[in-house]
Amino acid sequence: MNNLKKAPPVLILEDVAVAYKIRGGEIEAVQNVSFEINRGETHGIVGESGCGKSTVAWAVLNFLGANGYVKRGSIKFQGQELVGVTGEELRRLRGDQIAMVYQDPMQALNPSMRLGDQMSEVLTVHRDMDKKEAEKRCIEMLERVYMPDAANVMNRYPHQISGGQQQRVVIATALLNNPALLIMDEPTTALDVTVEAVVLDLIADLRREFDTAIMYITHNLGVVARVSTRVGVMYAGEMVERGTVEDIYKDPQHPYTQGLMRCVPKLGADKASSILYPIRGRVPPPNNRPVGCVFSPRCDYVREICHNKRPELLEFSSGVSVRCHFAGEIEADKWSPSDDILPPEIITDTSPREPILKLDNLKKYYEVQGSSLKDILGLGEQRYVKAVENADFDLPRGTTLGVVGESGCGKSTLIKTIIGLEQTTEGHAEFMEIDITDEISTRGEDVIKELQMVFQNPDSTMNPSYTVGQQIGRPMKRFSTVPKDEIRGEVIKLLESMRLGENYYDRLPRQLSGGEKQRVGIARALASHPNLVLCDEPVSALDVSVQAALLNLLLELQQEYDTTMMFIAHDLSVVRFFSDQVAVMYLGQIMEIGPANAIYAPPYHPYSEALLSAVPIPDPSAEQKHIRLEGTVPSAINPPDGCRFHTRCPRRELLPDGGAICETEMPPWRETAEGHRIFCHIPLETLNTFDPVITQKPEGSNHVS
Amino acid sequence: MLVKDYMTRHPIMISPETDASEAQNIMTENNIRHLPVVGDGKRLLGLITREKLHVPPSDLGSLNVWEISRLLSDLKVKGMMVKGKDLITTEGDITIEDAAKIMLEEKIGCLPVLEDGVVGGIITDTDMLAHLAHLMGATVQGVRVTIRMPDKVGESAKVTDVIASHGWGIYGGGGHDAPKQPGYWDAVLKIQGGDKEEVVAALEQIEGQEIIDVR
Ligand SMILES: Nc1ncnc2c1ncn2[C@@H]1O[C@H](COP(=O)(O)OP(=O)(O)O)[C@@H](O)[C@H]1O
Ligand code: SF4
Ligand code: SF4
Ligand SMILES: [Mg+2]
Repeated sequence: MNNLKKAPPVLILEDVAVAYKIRGGEIEAVQNVSFEINRGETHGIVGESGCGKSTVAWAVLNFLGANGYVKRGSIKFQGQELVGVTGEELRRLRGDQIAMVYQDPMQALNPSMRLGDQMSEVLTVHRDMDKKEAEKRCIEMLERVYMPDAANVMNRYPHQISGGQQQRVVIATALLNNPALLIMDEPTTALDVTVEAVVLDLIADLRREFDTAIMYITHNLGVVARVSTRVGVMYAGEMVERGTVEDIYKDPQHPYTQGLMRCVPKLGADKASSILYPIRGRVPPPNNRPVGCVFSPRCDYVREICHNKRPELLEFSSGVSVRCHFAGEIEADKWSPSDDILPPEIITDTSPREPILKLDNLKKYYEVQGSSLKDILGLGEQRYVKAVENADFDLPRGTTLGVVGESGCGKSTLIKTIIGLEQTTEGHAEFMEIDITDEISTRGEDVIKELQMVFQNPDSTMNPSYTVGQQIGRPMKRFSTVPKDEIRGEVIKLLESMRLGENYYDRLPRQLSGGEKQRVGIARALASHPNLVLCDEPVSALDVSVQAALLNLLLELQQEYDTTMMFIAHDLSVVRFFSDQVAVMYLGQIMEIGPANAIYAPPYHPYSEALLSAVPIPDPSAEQKHIRLEGTVPSAINPPDGCRFHTRCPRRELLPDGGAICETEMPPWRETAEGHRIFCHIPLETLNTFDPVITQKPEGSNHVS
Repeated sequence: MLVKDYMTRHPIMISPETDASEAQNIMTENNIRHLPVVGDGKRLLGLITREKLHVPPSDLGSLNVWEISRLLSDLKVKGMMVKGKDLITTEGDITIEDAAKIMLEEKIGCLPVLEDGVVGGIITDTDMLAHLAHLMGATVQGVRVTIRMPDKVGESAKVTDVIASHGWGIYGGGGHDAPKQPGYWDAVLKIQGGDKEEVVAALEQIEGQEIIDVR
């Protein structure tokens, strides 16, 4: 409906620059940022790490720390200038009218205080409300944020609830004062996708109900598309493009925005939507920004003027503003990738190949020590964390298996057990026809050489005092895969294939960026030309533009050496493009496994269906079925009997008696003709009738009511 | 249609210690005429309106220019705001028309809305006018007709029946005693679906009613 009343924006930033004083000078972390947020609007701010998103948020609250300050510009909140406001006035604004939610809920929670006490303090101290009344209010607010068992949560300490629940407590607390402005800095980044989906729904509800203005900061383009009305794209301290989500996603104008859109998977109807095109290079640090346009070193359209003159912000009649000399002239759909960022072509070889890895009902249980006296004396019943249950599949040589699931579902344990870092509890594993059921100390050198791993965090496995050359050369030396005098040459060749170049040979890990370190990590894993490489979320800690480059590289090398690969990821979007097979895990159990193209279309396992529905897709024209899982993942110590998913399964109602059988009996494997297996009591015929989760919104659905 | 659905949430507010000149600036810049004055926890202490910020010229008559500027810069909101029993507020749960009645009776242009004892919003005469405009269908395209009918049960049903039988929709409207014609009632309707001629032709058929305006 057309609104006749025009209320002034809640927050207006005008030409804001923020500087941090550092030794020997200062850096301008943020420059020329202008935007405004209206009441009831969620304004997204998106960009890669270090681009200045959080700095903008802190500037609003004057939380810049001892060395930071707003150097230029104006920040107006509800008509009042915030720059320079201090003391009592600032404290009152922060307490009553502006609230902030951070990525890590523990930053806002006091670990040694009951949640109820810290929540109600907001009301008793600020508003003089009596304790009883305050507690009642808190419980109501917890219920508003869909906290299960709210009254009970009030009596618990922060560590006694899950991360998703902690974040809900923080959001509920922030809302107790009904703030006019809510600043959220990556509030769901640390959460699992299914939990994130619930929190994002909640944020959308709250904005409508309380008419709150929300500044929503994230690096995730999918999340922005789901929650925001407008979005500003930040790059190297500047807001390079801004407009409505529809405009920006459909027709991005700035070359950086265009690049960002191409390096994130879209999970659309066809596999092509998952091809990733990286942006070459990386974000420059604030003290080393190029003159002229900050994006010029990475831009496909750079011309002379871009090196000399800083582009002004150009505003289009649509309301989109862009900081580029050639804004409006660059057509994203005419773009084609240059050779250096071209993703490798995926050769789908359908001829059957012999399995290189065979898992036969592999189990990994960890013993847990109880804390009762009986347990300590060893008289209690031994309890186990059932981290991996009956993993049973073959991995054909030269193929890639993507393993997907939320944190704690056993993905990492599965590959650690295969590589021998963990002792198998039961079952068998065979690699190149050699039994590798036992842990690594019992394995021969030839097995170790052929079985390598890439870790999520390269730092944890890199000796900080070894140079890059030494790190990569070590496995070559150890396994004598390369004659001693050829090692240097071989390392350099590998570095080059990692696009790092010879000049990296003598560098130390601390002189590398996160993306470069991970390249070294991959080079080292590939140094012994292993037959099987196990990758544990190797790119999830990296920025999206770097992620895409690394994934493509990994893939290229895998094809070149005909390596077999297992690749772990926490959502289904990343693995789609390059996996031959995908496995979905829940609570230690593989729930579904099959050819990649089969996983993303019906029949689905009910859990995979929920996962697909939860992933935020960076495409506002994609429509997703709305499936939200209730409750939290149960403990792996006493996993539910029968089907482990039965406590949360939205589909069990399709079975007789509301799926009573799921609570008591293990489901059977349902198998389709193409070798797609689903672990569920629901028969295939019924699973086949599910609608696809992701569809395209019909064009021009702007209906008049 | 309750106050809480139509009020402006998160109104701009100021503290009692704010300078009057700053309050004046905030009102001008944001094009508003009322500012709730709040203490800690958004507890309502008073209300500032444009008139309240007027300094009567008689107060200034005997002062020289330096004294005037000092006087003005010393003025704080807390000394000029509406407070105590003059401060009239409402709750979000009352109807729009009841709020309008209060404003008319008290001859005021604004009501701070309290939720749990703290400021939850504000509703002003502008909101009321916007609401009126919406009720009358000002924001939608359509044919606006005024029909004069006997003030009897069943008359409006005749109109809605005709409209429904053509598959048209009513997008706004209202009713009022016919001015200077006792026993009659004027109904205004914003109709979508048919054009002016079609609407008139259809409604003309109703016996005992008269179309007195159409646009
Ligand atoms: N307290 C500080 N002192 C010096 N530099 C800082 C400080 N905080 C942030 N920076 C720098 O400012 C830049 C922007 O950082 P930040 O706002 O955290 O970006 P983002 O939130 O987009 O990741 C980064 O280069 C960062 O290293
Ligand atoms: S100004 Fe030049 S370098 Fe910068 S984004 Fe535009 S075309 Fe690229
Ligand atoms: S077996 Fe039952 S609980 Fe498990 S996924 Fe299938 S329907 Fe759901
Ligand atoms: Mg940040």
